[in-house]
Amino acid sequence: MFDRKTIRRRRAALVAFVAASMVLITMSFSSGGPLGAIQRGAQDVVSPIETGANRALKPVRDLFGWLGDTFDAKDDNEQLRDEVAGLRKELATRQTARRDADQLRGLVGLRRTDGFPGATNPVAARVIARSPTVWYSSIRVDKGRSDGIRPDQPVIAAGGLAGKVTQVSGGSAQVTLITDSSSAVSAQVVPNGANGIIKPEVGKPDDLLLDFVQKGRRVRRGGTVVTSGFASDEVKSIFPRGIPVGRVSRVDLDEVELYQRVHLKPFADLRRIDFVQVLTKRPGARAGVPSP
Amino acid sequence: MSPTPGAFLRVGLLLLGAVVIQLSGLGQLRVLGGHFDLTPLVVGGVAYYAGSVPGAATGFAAGFLLDLLAAQTMGASSLVLCAIGYGVGRFRELRDPSHGLLPIPVGAAAAVGWVLAFGAVSFMLDVGTASVSGLVFREMVVTVVLDTLIALPLFGLVRRVIRPSLAVDPLERNRRRQSPRESGPLGLRGMEV
Repeated sequence: MFDRKTIRRRRAALVAFVAASMVLITMSFSSGGPLGAIQRGAQDVVSPIETGANRALKPVRDLFGWLGDTFDAKDDNEQLRDEVAGLRKELATRQTARRDADQLRGLVGLRRTDGFPGATNPVAARVIARSPTVWYSSIRVDKGRSDGIRPDQPVIAAGGLAGKVTQVSGGSAQVTLITDSSSAVSAQVVPNGANGIIKPEVGKPDDLLLDFVQKGRRVRRGGTVVTSGFASDEVKSIFPRGIPVGRVSRVDLDEVELYQRVHLKPFADLRRIDFVQVLTKRPGARAGVPSP
Repeated sequence: MSPTPGAFLRVGLLLLGAVVIQLSGLGQLRVLGGHFDLTPLVVGGVAYYAGSVPGAATGFAAGFLLDLLAAQTMGASSLVLCAIGYGVGRFRELRDPSHGLLPIPVGAAAAVGWVLAFGAVSFMLDVGTASVSGLVFREMVVTVVLDTLIALPLFGLVRRVIRPSLAVDPLERNRRRQSPRESGPLGLRGMEV
Protein backbone atom coordinates (compact mmCIF):
# COMPACT_ATOMS: atom_id res chain seq x y z
CA MET A 1 0.00 0.00 0.00
CA PHE A 2 2.86 2.37 0.81
CA ASP A 3 6.39 2.42 -0.51
CA ARG A 4 9.38 2.01 1.80
CA LYS A 5 10.16 5.71 1.76
CA THR A 6 6.68 6.62 2.98
CA ILE A 7 6.81 4.01 5.72
CA ARG A 8 10.25 5.20 6.83
CA ARG A 9 9.13 8.80 6.85
CA ARG A 10 6.01 7.97 8.84
CA ARG A 11 7.92 6.03 11.48
CA ALA A 12 10.56 8.72 11.68
CA ALA A 13 7.85 11.32 12.30
CA LEU A 14 6.37 9.28 15.14
CA VAL A 15 9.77 8.69 16.72
CA ALA A 16 10.57 12.42 16.41
CA PHE A 17 7.35 13.46 18.14
CA VAL A 18 7.78 10.93 20.93
CA ALA A 19 11.41 11.99 21.40
CA ALA A 20 10.37 15.66 21.49
CA SER A 21 7.78 14.84 24.15
CA MET A 22 10.37 13.02 26.23
CA VAL A 23 12.73 15.98 25.92
CA LEU A 24 9.94 18.31 27.10
CA ILE A 25 9.19 16.05 30.08
CA THR A 26 12.86 15.94 31.00
CA MET A 27 13.15 19.71 30.72
CA SER A 28 10.05 20.14 32.88
CA PHE A 29 11.70 18.32 35.74
CA SER A 30 15.02 20.11 35.48
CA SER A 31 14.86 23.27 37.57
CA GLY A 32 15.70 26.66 36.10
CA GLY A 33 14.85 25.72 32.53
CA PRO A 34 13.20 28.08 30.06
CA LEU A 35 9.92 26.16 30.03
CA GLY A 36 8.54 27.92 33.09
CA ALA A 37 9.09 31.32 31.51
CA ILE A 38 7.54 30.13 28.26
CA GLN A 39 4.52 28.80 30.15
CA ARG A 40 4.08 32.09 31.98
CA GLY A 41 4.47 34.07 28.76
CA ALA A 42 1.93 31.91 26.94
CA GLN A 43 -0.51 32.22 29.83
CA ASP A 44 -0.10 35.98 29.77
CA VAL A 45 -0.91 36.05 26.07
CA VAL A 46 -3.87 33.70 26.27
CA SER A 47 -5.41 34.80 29.58
CA PRO A 48 -7.47 37.64 27.97
CA ILE A 49 -8.89 35.13 25.49
CA GLU A 50 -9.61 32.72 28.31
CA THR A 51 -11.31 35.45 30.32
CA GLY A 52 -13.52 36.24 27.33
CA ALA A 53 -14.27 32.58 26.67
CA ASN A 54 -14.97 32.03 30.35
CA ARG A 55 -17.53 34.81 30.41
CA ALA A 56 -19.05 33.82 27.08
CA LEU A 57 -19.47 30.21 28.22
CA LYS A 58 -20.79 31.09 31.66
CA PRO A 59 -24.45 30.91 30.53
CA VAL A 60 -23.84 27.38 29.23
CA ARG A 61 -22.19 26.38 32.49
CA ASP A 62 -24.99 27.97 34.45
CA LEU A 63 -27.57 26.12 32.36
CA PHE A 64 -25.92 22.79 33.08
CA GLY A 65 -25.53 23.75 36.71
CA TRP A 66 -29.18 24.70 36.90
CA LEU A 67 -30.31 21.46 35.33
CA GLY A 68 -28.16 19.42 37.65
CA ASP A 69 -29.20 21.26 40.76
CA THR A 70 -32.91 21.54 40.11
CA PHE A 71 -33.55 18.38 42.04
CA ASP A 72 -31.56 19.67 44.97
CA ALA A 73 -33.60 22.85 45.31
CA LYS A 74 -30.66 24.97 44.34
CA ASP A 75 -31.86 28.32 45.55
CA ASP A 76 -32.65 27.22 49.08
CA ASN A 77 -29.49 25.23 49.16
CA GLU A 78 -27.26 28.12 48.17
CA GLN A 79 -28.92 30.50 50.57
CA LEU A 80 -28.52 28.06 53.41
CA ARG A 81 -24.98 27.26 52.35
CA ASP A 82 -24.01 30.93 52.50
CA GLU A 83 -25.64 31.21 55.89
CA VAL A 84 -23.93 28.08 57.16
CA ALA A 85 -20.60 29.25 55.72
CA GLY A 86 -20.94 32.52 57.63
CA LEU A 87 -21.89 30.78 60.86
CA ARG A 88 -19.15 28.20 60.41
CA LYS A 89 -16.56 30.89 59.90
CA GLU A 90 -17.81 32.66 63.01
CA LEU A 91 -17.78 29.42 64.97
CA ALA A 92 -14.24 28.59 63.85
CA THR A 93 -13.16 32.11 64.68
CA ARG A 94 -14.68 31.96 68.14
CA GLN A 95 -13.41 28.46 68.89
CA THR A 96 -9.91 29.34 67.78
CA ALA A 97 -10.07 32.58 69.71
CA ARG A 98 -11.29 30.80 72.81
CA ARG A 99 -8.60 28.17 72.56
CA ASP A 100 -5.92 30.79 72.03
CA ALA A 101 -7.27 32.86 74.90
CA ASP A 102 -7.34 29.85 77.21
CA GLN A 103 -3.78 28.89 76.32
CA LEU A 104 -2.42 32.39 76.65
CA ARG A 105 -4.36 33.03 79.84
CA GLY A 106 -2.96 29.86 81.24
CA LEU A 107 0.60 30.63 80.17
CA VAL A 108 0.88 34.33 80.39
CA GLY A 109 -2.38 35.39 81.89
CA LEU A 110 -3.24 38.00 79.31
CA ARG A 111 -3.43 38.62 75.56
CA ARG A 112 -6.60 37.77 73.77
CA THR A 113 -6.51 36.73 70.12
CA ASP A 114 -8.91 36.56 67.22
CA GLY A 115 -9.10 33.27 65.45
CA PHE A 116 -9.20 34.15 61.84
CA PRO A 117 -6.10 35.93 60.62
CA GLY A 118 -6.52 39.66 60.31
CA ALA A 119 -4.69 42.24 58.19
CA THR A 120 -4.09 39.81 55.36
CA ASN A 121 -4.96 42.31 52.63
CA PRO A 122 -7.12 39.94 50.55
CA VAL A 123 -7.34 40.41 46.77
CA ALA A 124 -10.48 39.08 45.11
CA ALA A 125 -9.99 37.22 41.85
CA ARG A 126 -12.14 35.42 39.30
CA VAL A 127 -11.38 31.84 38.27
CA ILE A 128 -10.67 31.87 34.52
CA ALA A 129 -9.37 28.36 33.91
CA ARG A 130 -9.28 25.02 35.61
CA SER A 131 -7.06 22.00 35.14
CA PRO A 132 -8.89 19.74 32.68
CA THR A 133 -7.91 16.45 34.25
CA VAL A 134 -8.61 14.79 37.54
CA TRP A 135 -4.88 14.28 38.17
CA TYR A 136 -4.05 17.93 38.72
CA SER A 137 -6.15 20.10 40.96
CA SER A 138 -5.36 23.65 40.02
CA ILE A 139 -7.09 26.77 38.79
CA ARG A 140 -5.95 30.00 37.19
CA VAL A 141 -7.24 33.36 38.40
CA ASP A 142 -7.36 36.70 36.66
CA LYS A 143 -5.11 38.58 39.08
CA GLY A 144 -1.34 38.45 38.87
CA ARG A 145 1.92 40.09 39.79
CA SER A 146 0.60 43.57 39.00
CA ASP A 147 -2.12 43.08 41.65
CA GLY A 148 0.35 42.13 44.35
CA ILE A 149 0.01 38.37 43.95
CA ARG A 150 3.16 36.39 44.70
CA PRO A 151 3.96 32.66 44.84
CA ASP A 152 3.10 30.81 48.07
CA GLN A 153 0.35 33.20 49.10
CA PRO A 154 -2.69 31.44 50.64
CA VAL A 155 -5.96 31.42 48.69
CA ILE A 156 -9.41 31.16 50.26
CA ALA A 157 -12.80 30.50 48.70
CA ALA A 158 -16.31 30.79 50.10
CA GLY A 159 -16.25 28.62 53.21
CA GLY A 160 -12.58 28.13 53.82
CA LEU A 161 -9.08 27.46 52.58
CA ALA A 162 -8.75 26.72 48.84
CA GLY A 163 -5.01 26.44 48.17
CA LYS A 164 -1.91 28.46 47.47
CA VAL A 165 -0.46 30.45 44.59
CA THR A 166 2.19 28.44 42.73
CA GLN A 167 2.89 30.46 39.59
CA VAL A 168 2.42 34.13 38.86
CA SER A 169 2.53 36.01 35.59
CA GLY A 170 1.70 39.65 34.89
CA GLY A 171 -2.07 39.36 34.77
CA SER A 172 -2.87 35.89 36.03
CA ALA A 173 -1.82 33.37 38.65
CA GLN A 174 -1.89 29.61 38.98
CA VAL A 175 -3.42 28.30 42.21
CA THR A 176 -2.76 24.75 43.37
CA LEU A 177 -5.76 23.59 45.36
CA ILE A 178 -5.56 21.69 48.63
CA THR A 179 -7.00 18.68 46.75
CA ASP A 180 -3.89 18.46 44.54
CA SER A 181 -1.66 15.47 45.21
CA SER A 182 1.28 17.76 45.95
CA SER A 183 -0.59 19.70 48.64
CA ALA A 184 0.13 19.46 52.36
CA VAL A 185 -1.30 21.83 54.96
CA SER A 186 -0.49 21.88 58.64
CA ALA A 187 -3.76 22.06 60.53
CA GLN A 188 -5.36 21.48 63.89
CA VAL A 189 -8.74 20.40 65.15
CA VAL A 190 -10.48 22.96 67.31
CA PRO A 191 -11.24 23.09 70.14
CA ASN A 192 -9.08 20.16 71.31
CA GLY A 193 -5.99 21.24 69.37
CA ALA A 194 -4.89 17.95 67.78
CA ASN A 195 -2.34 18.80 65.09
CA GLY A 196 -1.72 17.05 61.80
CA ILE A 197 -1.03 17.43 58.11
CA ILE A 198 -3.87 17.64 55.63
CA LYS A 199 -3.28 15.51 52.51
CA PRO A 200 -5.74 14.89 49.70
CA GLU A 201 -6.84 11.68 48.08
CA VAL A 202 -6.57 12.10 44.31
CA GLY A 203 -9.97 12.13 42.62
CA LYS A 204 -11.89 12.51 45.89
CA PRO A 205 -12.18 16.24 46.48
CA ASP A 206 -14.82 15.86 49.19
CA ASP A 207 -12.59 13.84 51.47
CA LEU A 208 -9.31 15.17 52.82
CA LEU A 209 -7.12 13.31 55.24
CA LEU A 210 -5.66 14.86 58.37
CA ASP A 211 -2.75 12.57 58.97
CA PHE A 212 -0.12 12.26 61.71
CA VAL A 213 -2.58 13.12 64.46
CA GLN A 214 -1.29 11.56 67.67
CA LYS A 215 -3.55 9.08 69.37
CA GLY A 216 -3.33 10.90 72.67
CA ARG A 217 -5.65 13.62 71.45
CA ARG A 218 -8.97 12.04 70.72
CA VAL A 219 -10.64 13.66 67.72
CA ARG A 220 -14.38 13.43 67.39
CA ARG A 221 -16.67 13.61 64.38
CA GLY A 222 -18.00 17.11 63.73
CA GLY A 223 -14.90 18.96 64.92
CA THR A 224 -13.73 21.95 62.93
CA VAL A 225 -10.30 21.87 61.32
CA VAL A 226 -8.38 25.11 60.84
CA THR A 227 -4.89 25.90 59.63
CA SER A 228 -2.40 25.75 62.46
CA GLY A 229 0.06 28.30 61.09
CA PHE A 230 2.86 26.03 62.18
CA ALA A 231 6.17 27.80 62.69
CA SER A 232 9.57 26.83 64.00
CA ASP A 233 13.03 28.32 63.69
CA GLU A 234 13.65 26.85 60.25
CA VAL A 235 10.22 26.17 58.85
CA LYS A 236 7.14 28.31 58.72
CA SER A 237 3.78 27.33 57.26
CA ILE A 238 2.66 29.58 54.42
CA PHE A 239 -0.90 29.40 55.72
CA PRO A 240 -1.62 31.74 58.63
CA ARG A 241 -3.29 30.34 61.69
CA GLY A 242 -7.08 30.10 61.94
CA ILE A 243 -8.33 29.69 58.35
CA PRO A 244 -11.19 27.17 58.40
CA VAL A 245 -10.49 24.13 56.24
CA GLY A 246 -13.18 21.53 56.89
CA ARG A 247 -15.23 19.47 59.29
CA VAL A 248 -14.23 16.08 60.66
CA SER A 249 -16.36 13.44 58.95
CA ARG A 250 -14.71 10.24 60.13
CA VAL A 251 -11.88 9.08 62.39
CA ASP A 252 -10.00 5.86 61.68
CA LEU A 253 -8.50 4.38 64.82
CA ASP A 254 -6.13 1.59 63.85
CA GLU A 255 -4.54 -0.25 66.75
CA VAL A 256 -1.36 -0.87 64.74
CA GLU A 257 -0.82 2.68 63.54
CA LEU A 258 0.86 5.31 65.69
CA TYR A 259 -1.44 8.02 64.46
CA GLN A 260 -5.14 8.60 63.99
CA ARG A 261 -6.35 9.14 60.44
CA VAL A 262 -8.91 11.91 60.49
CA HIS A 263 -11.10 12.38 57.42
CA LEU A 264 -12.57 15.80 56.80
CA LYS A 265 -14.93 17.36 54.33
CA PRO A 266 -13.62 20.72 53.13
CA PHE A 267 -15.82 23.73 53.72
CA ALA A 268 -15.03 25.23 50.33
CA ASP A 269 -16.64 23.55 47.33
CA LEU A 270 -13.44 23.36 45.31
CA ARG A 271 -15.07 22.03 42.15
CA ARG A 272 -17.39 24.95 41.78
CA ILE A 273 -15.49 28.03 42.74
CA ASP A 274 -15.91 31.11 40.60
CA PHE A 275 -14.24 33.62 42.91
CA VAL A 276 -11.39 33.38 45.38
CA GLN A 277 -9.44 35.71 47.61
CA VAL A 278 -5.67 35.73 47.72
CA LEU A 279 -4.24 36.73 51.10
CA THR A 280 -1.42 38.95 49.91
CA LYS A 281 -0.15 39.97 53.31
CA ARG A 282 0.97 37.67 56.05
CA PRO A 283 -0.32 38.53 59.51
CA GLY A 284 2.69 39.23 61.64
CA ALA A 285 2.98 37.97 65.17
CA ARG A 286 -0.03 35.73 65.30
CA ALA A 287 1.30 32.49 63.85
CA GLY A 288 2.69 29.60 65.75
CA VAL A 289 1.02 29.58 69.14
CA PRO A 290 2.55 26.49 70.75
CA SER A 291 0.25 23.69 71.70
CA PRO A 292 0.23 22.72 75.34
CA MET B 1 -3.19 16.46 3.99
CA SER B 2 -1.01 18.96 2.19
CA PRO B 3 1.40 20.77 4.54
CA THR B 4 0.48 24.23 3.30
CA PRO B 5 0.44 27.42 5.41
CA GLY B 6 -3.34 27.36 5.17
CA ALA B 7 -3.47 23.86 6.63
CA PHE B 8 -1.20 24.86 9.52
CA LEU B 9 -3.35 27.92 10.17
CA ARG B 10 -6.60 25.98 10.12
CA VAL B 11 -5.36 23.21 12.40
CA GLY B 12 -3.61 25.71 14.68
CA LEU B 13 -6.75 27.79 15.16
CA LEU B 14 -8.79 24.64 15.65
CA LEU B 15 -6.44 23.45 18.40
CA LEU B 16 -6.21 26.84 20.08
CA GLY B 17 -9.99 27.16 20.12
CA ALA B 18 -10.43 23.62 21.44
CA VAL B 19 -7.86 24.05 24.23
CA VAL B 20 -9.15 27.48 25.32
CA ILE B 21 -12.75 26.28 25.35
CA GLN B 22 -11.66 23.16 27.21
CA LEU B 23 -9.83 25.12 29.90
CA SER B 24 -12.22 28.04 30.25
CA GLY B 25 -15.57 26.41 29.70
CA LEU B 26 -16.00 22.70 29.25
CA GLY B 27 -13.47 21.71 31.90
CA GLN B 28 -15.56 23.49 34.53
CA LEU B 29 -18.81 21.97 33.36
CA ARG B 30 -19.46 19.00 35.60
CA VAL B 31 -21.90 16.39 34.30
CA LEU B 32 -22.51 13.34 36.51
CA GLY B 33 -19.10 13.80 38.07
CA GLY B 34 -17.21 13.94 34.76
CA HIS B 35 -16.63 16.48 32.03
CA PHE B 36 -16.39 16.79 28.27
CA ASP B 37 -12.86 16.56 26.91
CA LEU B 38 -12.48 18.08 23.45
CA THR B 39 -8.75 17.59 23.01
CA PRO B 40 -8.56 13.85 22.20
CA LEU B 41 -11.60 14.17 19.94
CA VAL B 42 -10.12 17.05 17.92
CA VAL B 43 -6.82 15.17 17.58
CA GLY B 44 -8.70 11.99 16.68
CA GLY B 45 -10.79 13.92 14.14
CA VAL B 46 -7.79 15.42 12.37
CA ALA B 47 -6.03 12.03 12.33
CA TYR B 48 -9.18 10.29 11.07
CA TYR B 49 -9.47 12.56 8.05
CA ALA B 50 -5.81 13.43 7.41
CA GLY B 51 -3.83 10.30 8.34
CA SER B 52 -1.17 9.17 10.77
CA VAL B 53 1.62 11.75 10.36
CA PRO B 54 -0.68 14.82 10.45
CA GLY B 55 -2.50 13.08 13.32
CA ALA B 56 0.70 12.62 15.32
CA ALA B 57 1.78 16.21 14.59
CA THR B 58 -1.62 17.55 15.63
CA GLY B 59 -1.53 15.44 18.79
CA PHE B 60 1.90 16.74 19.68
CA ALA B 61 0.84 20.36 19.08
CA ALA B 62 -2.42 19.95 21.02
CA GLY B 63 -0.60 18.40 23.97
CA PHE B 64 2.04 21.12 23.91
CA LEU B 65 -0.64 23.81 23.96
CA LEU B 66 -2.61 22.08 26.71
CA ASP B 67 0.42 21.61 28.95
CA LEU B 68 1.54 25.16 28.27
CA LEU B 69 -1.77 26.79 29.18
CA ALA B 70 -2.78 24.44 32.00
CA ALA B 71 0.67 24.72 33.64
CA GLN B 72 1.03 20.96 33.72
CA THR B 73 4.19 18.93 33.23
CA MET B 74 5.30 19.82 29.71
CA GLY B 75 5.40 16.91 27.29
CA ALA B 76 3.05 14.58 29.17
CA SER B 77 -0.04 15.40 27.10
CA SER B 78 2.04 15.67 23.90
CA LEU B 79 3.35 12.14 24.39
CA VAL B 80 -0.11 10.66 24.82
CA LEU B 81 -1.91 12.73 22.19
CA CYS B 82 0.68 12.18 19.46
CA ALA B 83 0.31 8.43 20.04
CA ILE B 84 -3.47 8.75 19.83
CA GLY B 85 -3.23 10.81 16.63
CA TYR B 86 -0.85 8.31 15.08
CA GLY B 87 -3.00 5.34 16.11
CA VAL B 88 -6.25 6.79 14.75
CA GLY B 89 -4.48 7.86 11.54
CA ARG B 90 -3.03 4.38 11.02
CA PHE B 91 -6.44 2.86 11.61
CA ARG B 92 -7.83 5.03 8.84
CA GLU B 93 -4.94 4.25 6.50
CA LEU B 94 -5.03 0.48 7.03
CA ARG B 95 -8.77 -0.12 7.23
CA ASP B 96 -9.98 2.71 5.01
CA PRO B 97 -13.28 2.86 6.95
CA SER B 98 -16.38 4.02 5.17
CA HIS B 99 -19.31 3.95 7.59
CA GLY B 100 -20.73 7.37 8.43
CA LEU B 101 -21.14 6.54 12.13
CA LEU B 102 -17.56 5.39 12.56
CA PRO B 103 -16.50 8.64 14.29
CA ILE B 104 -18.47 7.44 17.34
CA PRO B 105 -16.35 4.36 18.11
CA VAL B 106 -13.20 6.13 16.92
CA GLY B 107 -13.94 9.07 19.24
CA ALA B 108 -14.70 6.68 22.10
CA ALA B 109 -11.44 4.83 21.49
CA ALA B 110 -9.51 8.12 21.41
CA ALA B 111 -11.14 9.19 24.68
CA VAL B 112 -10.41 5.83 26.34
CA GLY B 113 -6.81 6.00 25.17
CA TRP B 114 -6.49 9.54 26.45
CA VAL B 115 -7.92 9.03 29.94
CA LEU B 116 -6.04 5.77 30.51
CA ALA B 117 -2.68 6.74 29.05
CA PHE B 118 -2.70 10.27 30.48
CA GLY B 119 -3.71 8.87 33.86
CA ALA B 120 -0.83 6.40 33.74
CA VAL B 121 1.68 9.06 32.64
CA SER B 122 0.50 11.53 35.29
CA PHE B 123 0.60 8.86 37.93
CA MET B 124 4.17 7.95 37.02
CA LEU B 125 5.39 11.53 36.69
CA ASP B 126 3.58 13.59 39.28
CA VAL B 127 1.17 11.79 41.54
CA GLY B 128 3.67 9.21 42.78
CA THR B 129 2.92 7.79 46.18
CA ALA B 130 -0.27 9.74 46.86
CA SER B 131 -3.36 7.61 47.36
CA VAL B 132 -5.84 7.51 44.48
CA SER B 133 -9.57 7.28 45.01
CA GLY B 134 -11.85 4.95 43.08
CA LEU B 135 -13.82 8.03 42.03
CA VAL B 136 -11.05 8.71 39.50
CA PHE B 137 -12.26 5.71 37.52
CA ARG B 138 -15.84 6.89 37.67
CA GLU B 139 -14.76 10.26 36.30
CA MET B 140 -12.82 8.51 33.54
CA VAL B 141 -15.85 6.43 32.53
CA VAL B 142 -18.18 9.44 32.54
CA THR B 143 -15.69 11.46 30.47
CA VAL B 144 -15.47 8.68 27.88
CA VAL B 145 -19.28 8.43 27.69
CA LEU B 146 -19.66 12.20 27.29
CA ASP B 147 -16.94 12.31 24.62
CA THR B 148 -18.61 9.46 22.77
CA LEU B 149 -21.84 11.46 22.71
CA ILE B 150 -20.24 14.49 21.08
CA ALA B 151 -17.81 12.61 18.83
CA LEU B 152 -19.99 12.59 15.71
CA PRO B 153 -20.75 16.34 15.52
CA LEU B 154 -17.22 17.22 16.57
CA PHE B 155 -15.67 15.03 13.87
CA GLY B 156 -18.03 16.72 11.41
CA LEU B 157 -16.82 20.13 12.56
CA VAL B 158 -13.17 19.08 12.28
CA ARG B 159 -13.81 17.79 8.76
CA ARG B 160 -15.42 21.07 7.74
CA VAL B 161 -12.45 23.04 9.05
CA ILE B 162 -9.67 20.96 7.51
CA ARG B 163 -11.48 19.88 4.34
CA PRO B 164 -9.88 22.50 2.05
CA SER B 165 -6.45 21.11 2.99
CA LEU B 166 -7.28 17.43 2.59
CA ALA B 167 -5.62 15.68 -0.33
CA VAL B 168 -8.29 12.98 -0.16
CA ASP B 169 -11.55 13.31 1.71
CA PRO B 170 -12.58 9.80 2.83
CA LEU B 171 -16.27 10.65 2.79
CA GLU B 172 -16.14 12.02 -0.74
CA ARG B 173 -14.36 8.89 -1.88
CA ASN B 174 -17.03 6.74 -0.21
CA ARG B 175 -19.71 8.67 -2.04
CA ARG B 176 -18.01 7.85 -5.33
CA ARG B 177 -17.99 4.18 -4.37
CA GLN B 178 -21.78 3.95 -4.14
CA SER B 179 -23.40 1.10 -6.04
CA PRO B 180 -24.17 1.59 -9.75
CA ARG B 181 -27.50 3.12 -10.68
CA GLU B 182 -30.32 0.68 -11.24
CA SER B 183 -32.95 3.19 -12.21
CA GLY B 184 -33.24 6.37 -14.23
CA PRO B 185 -32.55 6.83 -17.91
CA LEU B 186 -31.70 3.58 -19.67
CA GLY B 187 -28.36 4.87 -20.85
CA LEU B 188 -27.13 5.50 -17.32
CA ARG B 189 -28.11 2.16 -15.71
CA GLY B 190 -25.21 0.00 -14.63
CA MET B 191 -22.86 2.97 -14.58
CA GLU B 192 -21.26 4.52 -11.51
CA VAL B 193 -22.79 7.97 -11.82
